[in-house]
Amino acid sequence: MGMLFDVSHLTIGFEDKGQMNKVVNDLSFSMDEGEILGVVGESGSGKSMTALAAMGLLSPQAHILDGTIMFDGKDMLALSEKERSAISGKDMSMIFQEPMTSLNPVMKIGKQVGESLRLHTSLSKEQIHEKVIRALSDVGLSDPEGLCKKYPHELSGGMRQRVMIAQAMVCSPKLLIADEPTTALDVIVQGQILKLLRKLHRERGVAILFISHDLNVIREICQNVIVMYNGDIVERGKVLDVLEHPKHEYTKTLVASIPDNTTADRKRRPIVTMEHLNVFYRDHEGGFFNKSGRQQVIKELNLQVYEGELMGIVGESGCGKSTLAKTIVGLNTDYNGTLKMDEDLHPQMVFQDPFGSLNPARRIGWIMSEPLRVRGIRTKRERRNMVCDMLTKIGLDSSFYDRYPHELSGGQRQRVSIGAALLMNSRLLVADEPVSALDVTVQSQILELLLDIHKKGGLTILFISHDLNIVRHICHRVAVIYLGQIVELAPVDEIYKNPCHPYTQMLFESALSGNDSRTAHFAPDDIGADIEDTVIGDTGCPFYPRCKYRTQRCEAQAPDFVNVGADQEHFVRCFFEGKITLEKNELHNGDMHII
Amino acid sequence: MKISIKKKRNYNLIIGLCLTGFFALMALVGQFWTPYSVTSMDPLSVNVAPCLAHPFGTDNFGRDILSRVMNGSGMTFFVAICTVLMGAVIGTVVGALTGYFGGWIDEIIMRINDILLSFPSVLLALLFISFLGPGTVNVILALGILFIPSFARIVRSEMIRCKELDFVKSAKVMGVGPFRIMFVHILPNTLVSMLTAAAIGFNNAVLAEASMSYLGLGVQPPLPSLGRMLSEAQSYLFNTPWYAIAPGVTIILIILGFSMISEGLRAVER
Repeated sequence: MGMLFDVSHLTIGFEDKGQMNKVVNDLSFSMDEGEILGVVGESGSGKSMTALAAMGLLSPQAHILDGTIMFDGKDMLALSEKERSAISGKDMSMIFQEPMTSLNPVMKIGKQVGESLRLHTSLSKEQIHEKVIRALSDVGLSDPEGLCKKYPHELSGGMRQRVMIAQAMVCSPKLLIADEPTTALDVIVQGQILKLLRKLHRERGVAILFISHDLNVIREICQNVIVMYNGDIVERGKVLDVLEHPKHEYTKTLVASIPDNTTADRKRRPIVTMEHLNVFYRDHEGGFFNKSGRQQVIKELNLQVYEGELMGIVGESGCGKSTLAKTIVGLNTDYNGTLKMDEDLHPQMVFQDPFGSLNPARRIGWIMSEPLRVRGIRTKRERRNMVCDMLTKIGLDSSFYDRYPHELSGGQRQRVSIGAALLMNSRLLVADEPVSALDVTVQSQILELLLDIHKKGGLTILFISHDLNIVRHICHRVAVIYLGQIVELAPVDEIYKNPCHPYTQMLFESALSGNDSRTAHFAPDDIGADIEDTVIGDTGCPFYPRCKYRTQRCEAQAPDFVNVGADQEHFVRCFFEGKITLEKNELHNGDMHII
Repeated sequence: MKISIKKKRNYNLIIGLCLTGFFALMALVGQFWTPYSVTSMDPLSVNVAPCLAHPFGTDNFGRDILSRVMNGSGMTFFVAICTVLMGAVIGTVVGALTGYFGGWIDEIIMRINDILLSFPSVLLALLFISFLGPGTVNVILALGILFIPSFARIVRSEMIRCKELDFVKSAKVMGVGPFRIMFVHILPNTLVSMLTAAAIGFNNAVLAEASMSYLGLGVQPPLPSLGRMLSEAQSYLFNTPWYAIAPGVTIILIILGFSMISEGLRAVER
């Protein structure tokens, strides 16, 4: 196979506050036709810059200081704007991370996907339409004719990502640049999109430059990988070689496992008890002319959180897990049923987005003193001492006292959030996806901090996440939520060994296993179709429309929450009561291998 | 590796601050010391053209124009500061309460806001003054009320934006009360847009005060004010143009200074 894409000695500088910082430093790599090359690295390591430079999409502050980018025998940097745009979008196309913003909101899907055909070919309207329809059905979208007439806001995130891939593939490019294409998606959708990319690669022979910070994703899809750190390539080679036997220090920390939780779940005293909890959510506030919309998000939920445990709550986005968190900490008061908790519990919350959770106009010291002021500690000196103590406890130091949040990295901000919660004398920490916005290496540091304060202070943590790997490693018990109902609840080892609910099984199947036998992954060609949004029905099992094993009974009648565990509690809400696992067991032989 | 390149200076802000600072200083000095008495007339030197003794000339009563501009711009600044302060303080409270709590009170107050904004402000000011009667204090009151909506809008939109952010939620979880969240947590975030609005507000206030005094509704004679001087100079425009030039140019430069400050602040925000 011939060489398709060659980057040599590429150096990109970025202008910031009058300084020129090199973000990509003397970067060289090449790709053959039909190769899938992974680029892995933290945010700021220059991986996206490289892709943007190839597409000619660098922001005006970024300057290419040196090097060449050859594509298909042409020097991309020497081409004029016109010549370059004849290539990009046709022979070379790109899919972006954010499916919500990468499509034009005022253009219909059909027109949007056909746009590059209109620009780059002289096909007639009918031919373009035909190609668009084929491209849309190729990416697993049902009813492409109807879809062409829709606008992006009518589609779900997964569907938009598919549309974007169709848009990129419609001209049959030789090279597809995928910049974190699955990062913003749910586990299940992520798995489907990766399968789709692999299918397109196999059928069309398109080369893919796959940029990601997630090693599991890279391992799943790529043949070769380069590891970037601070604008330099620190390691390169075959994916398995690099990930199994990392040589560079940075790759080693990247590959290093998620910290394990070793403490046993000791006491069985419930500190939070929820019985028949129904939680509602208001879409918008009512005004003069519009009534407020009220939706039921949590339905008849029963759950106890025990003192000193790490409880994991898992589910897709929109399943109600964040609403549950807000209800427990008191941000949502629109519920009925029982929600009992210890009086001095002071549940505190750690939010997902580290950039929104600290007041940008206040210094760290002020932010962390606020819980002390609420607690009534009057003297400034006392507050300062307590904050400085806490800063060291959370792995920062007292020099952070006078800094503003924008001077801190995502991980440092998340530490400050945790510290502020602890200063409130909280005994229950509700962590809503606390690490999913962070880089992999920072993730493990924050998890270590959480485990550390959990062990030292006996803190109870409600850990909400969509990342099954992390939940498995740090939690004691796991509750799986689907459409506002707990469908399965069991100790962590039990649920991973013996997932009983079809939905739990589906989650585990889509979670990237990191299995070494790569051929096994190519067998199921199920790239999935997008499921219409389901609402809580009055009768029948809520999972009915998506279930592989559904029977007539499931449609008519809702199953109860029953204990199927032999020696430990294992609740499941399914008529099969876990008996379906026997046939599916081979899927879990590989186990959840964590890298 | 870092390569230093030329750093852009915020010239708008620097020049704006210098201009405004200069006139503010002049106005301040004008309250305590002027080359000649502000009100005393000298029949021997009526309508003297600019010369060494009277750099800006004298008016039809023989009063020194430089002295009157110095003292009069003090009045202009005083009215502008009072109106902007009144608008900013009341506007902040109104905007914070309506934005944070929302609901039907918000709807009513914002509709009143819209009504106020839909009329030309000078027309409304005239209306208020025809009720209150002419005079400096009444001009301040009338203009101050007119300035409330623009500040209320800024604070309200910032409240609505911030109240959904996680740092506000996290303060709520800690048990911080709503007023503390509004005025201690969220309000500092509005500082830059408030300063920009204040600079624009000063501009409008200077102009409005000048027009009020020009129409004879503001500062009453014999006290000088830039607008009043312009109106008096009108009849002598062809014979003694310096009478109109000095206060006119002063107004222009003060407004230019404030405009440049607001422009510069907007660049800081970015």
